[in-house]
Amino acid sequence: MLTEYGTKHAVHVITNHFGDLVAKVCECLLRKGPLTRQNVKRYTELSDEQVKNALLVLIQQNCVQAFTTEQPDGFADGPKANTQYVVLFDNILHRVRFAKFLTILSQEFDQQCVELVQGLLEHGRLTLKQMFDRAKSSEKEGNLVDLDSLRETLVKLVTAHYVERCPASEPLLMPISEEEGPARKKGSKSAKKIGEPETIEQQVVEAALPMEAMRFSVVTNVESDVGEKEKNSNNVTPGEKRKHDVLELDECGVADEQSVVYRANFEGFIRRLRHKGCIDHVRAHLDDGAANVLSAMLQATSSAEKKVKTKNSVPLSLSSIYEEVIKSEAGRNMTLDHVRASLVQLGELSFVDASSDSYSIDFEKIIEIAQNEEVESVVSKRYGRDAYRIFRLLSKSGRLLETDKISDTTFVEKKDAPKILYKLWKDGYLLMEKLVVTGARQSQFLLWKVNRQILWKHVLDEMFHAALNLSLRVSYELDREKELLNLPADKRTGPLQDRYNRIRKVRILLESSQMKLDDAILLFHDF
Amino acid sequence: MAYRGRGRGRGGYGGGGGFGFAKQEPFKLFPEIELPAHKNIPIEKNLILWNSRLLNYWKSSPYFLEESVEKNSQSVDIERYSDWNKPKVSSNRGSINQFLQLHSNNFPAELVKDSREQRNPKRVRWNADRGLRKLDLFEKLEQKFEGQEDKDEKEKKEGEDEDEDGDEAAGEAEEEFSDDGDYNQNIDFDDDEDDFNMDDGNDDEATY
Repeated sequence: MLTEYGTKHAVHVITNHFGDLVAKVCECLLRKGPLTRQNVKRYTELSDEQVKNALLVLIQQNCVQAFTTEQPDGFADGPKANTQYVVLFDNILHRVRFAKFLTILSQEFDQQCVELVQGLLEHGRLTLKQMFDRAKSSEKEGNLVDLDSLRETLVKLVTAHYVERCPASEPLLMPISEEEGPARKKGSKSAKKIGEPETIEQQVVEAALPMEAMRFSVVTNVESDVGEKEKNSNNVTPGEKRKHDVLELDECGVADEQSVVYRANFEGFIRRLRHKGCIDHVRAHLDDGAANVLSAMLQATSSAEKKVKTKNSVPLSLSSIYEEVIKSEAGRNMTLDHVRASLVQLGELSFVDASSDSYSIDFEKIIEIAQNEEVESVVSKRYGRDAYRIFRLLSKSGRLLETDKISDTTFVEKKDAPKILYKLWKDGYLLMEKLVVTGARQSQFLLWKVNRQILWKHVLDEMFHAALNLSLRVSYELDREKELLNLPADKRTGPLQDRYNRIRKVRILLESSQMKLDDAILLFHDF
Repeated sequence: MAYRGRGRGRGGYGGGGGFGFAKQEPFKLFPEIELPAHKNIPIEKNLILWNSRLLNYWKSSPYFLEESVEKNSQSVDIERYSDWNKPKVSSNRGSINQFLQLHSNNFPAELVKDSREQRNPKRVRWNADRGLRKLDLFEKLEQKFEGQEDKDEKEKKEGEDEDEDGDEAAGEAEEEFSDDGDYNQNIDFDDDEDDFNMDDGNDDEATY
């Protein structure tokens, strides 16, 4: 479910990156859900050409995915397939974090890798040939680019799952029939914790994904093409004869380099950021030793993770953990006892599940605790220490508590407690229920509760609101000083230089704040 | 009176008809609020630099679609002599077709069939158009000036070695990238921490 400020934030990001025209189309799709091209034109009142170009840009930049559904046509002409477009909200949010993705890469790979992915982030999608042309255009003397080394770089990135093949252009989405509806809901209770049915966006993304093996494959040389070609031809309508001549493969290989399109795999980067977030959290709570152990466990098991929001890591034995720890620079000097002690510490905080000599990281727990701390910190800063204690009590108990009981347990004055509770309730942090007891005399009790699901959505919306405010302020400040910024450096004298220094500091401060806030948004939305 | 613009609900609106029940407040775009201490914010210059480069690329790329004036409406007005000297409205951006792989593997069929693909790979402009970036020449002057400033400041600075190394590395990285002439840097990032210190009056807090 998209919240109001989530939508506004996303629209502002697109406006900054691609202009008002594209943003108009994007906003239309965000507010109205998946639409056909004609409907987009109708609602935005733009010309055919403008809608088409905007959609092309959004698809190219992976912000929109097209799909088709079969609609039974009333005129007995048979079912008609029509193309609809759905906005990929998560991918729009990722756009403000591209700098973080590139930072990860620069820590793990070389400069050529970073530049290749930078090109993919700038353009959204590129073929190998385009990547080569781009690299050649900014070639420096003494550092010539050749196709083979670039291909190797691409293979490295694809193997690490940081780059993937682009999804299908318009997959067919099967509508969920009415009989399946209730059955799905029953099944979903056991399958998912929250029990929400998949949104259309999620269904479309899943339908568009290429098969796992093909998603992370690169057409390299003739011999290894055999495997890929067979999978490629699965996309061809069944029943067609397939010829696998070596000569044909060779031609197809070259043609593929010009036609197979790749893009950055955001999931891979988010997974990496999630790991880093967990390690930082553990380091803050325990110590460097525990952080090293966790980091080693992640190193060993990350390739086995199927999706970003994995609950637990693959179990590892103590000896394999120790082997991994001493491989890393930070953990080289750790003894087995030290590792065991850290695992015990992690287990006490439920960050790691220990069972029959194997240890597995409980991501959900680490993230849950980090989220709690974030919300409690907001409450404490905004409403004070008493409110913080009250909120923590309600959050931990997870059920309705009565006003007097709250003030007794938290040692808050009886006359202050209702005021604080009322303030928290008004701002959407608590739920309230009235209980009227008719006995000897009628008395009314007020009961309070923290509902985590609702509250988390509210907190996330507030974060989007804050992010939007920050972006608006940055745009406003830069716009105000536009002429000053366009002045050449030697013309900036006296008061102009002061103003320039001011705008520079303002920009650095505001943008750093945006990056920090984005860490919190990641914690609540993507981790 | 209705206030439009970037208010997004903030600020006061005049009461309907001005009956006197609603207090009319002046419209403030960014009302004063209590802000947190700015020193607690970790400054992420690397991230800002990357972000800035990407943003500058997109703003000058063909992907930034401008709402251009329709050609039909121009022909309604009589062409005047004074119009000859006016700058032409046409954009200097490249066409998006030079980058898009317009085949049905990549885009939906209904969008592909109307577009022409640009076939000539030599015409593709990978680096942002010079005209749009405006600051090209001045950028180079800025970088020169920045280089000089850096040298002066380093002489005055009481070195904290790690910081200096960091600064030098960052400075070098910047010089390297600026030699490409690829990216438009509106703000010069002379990664010289002294700017902060000098303005803040020598705090006791640790510098980065």
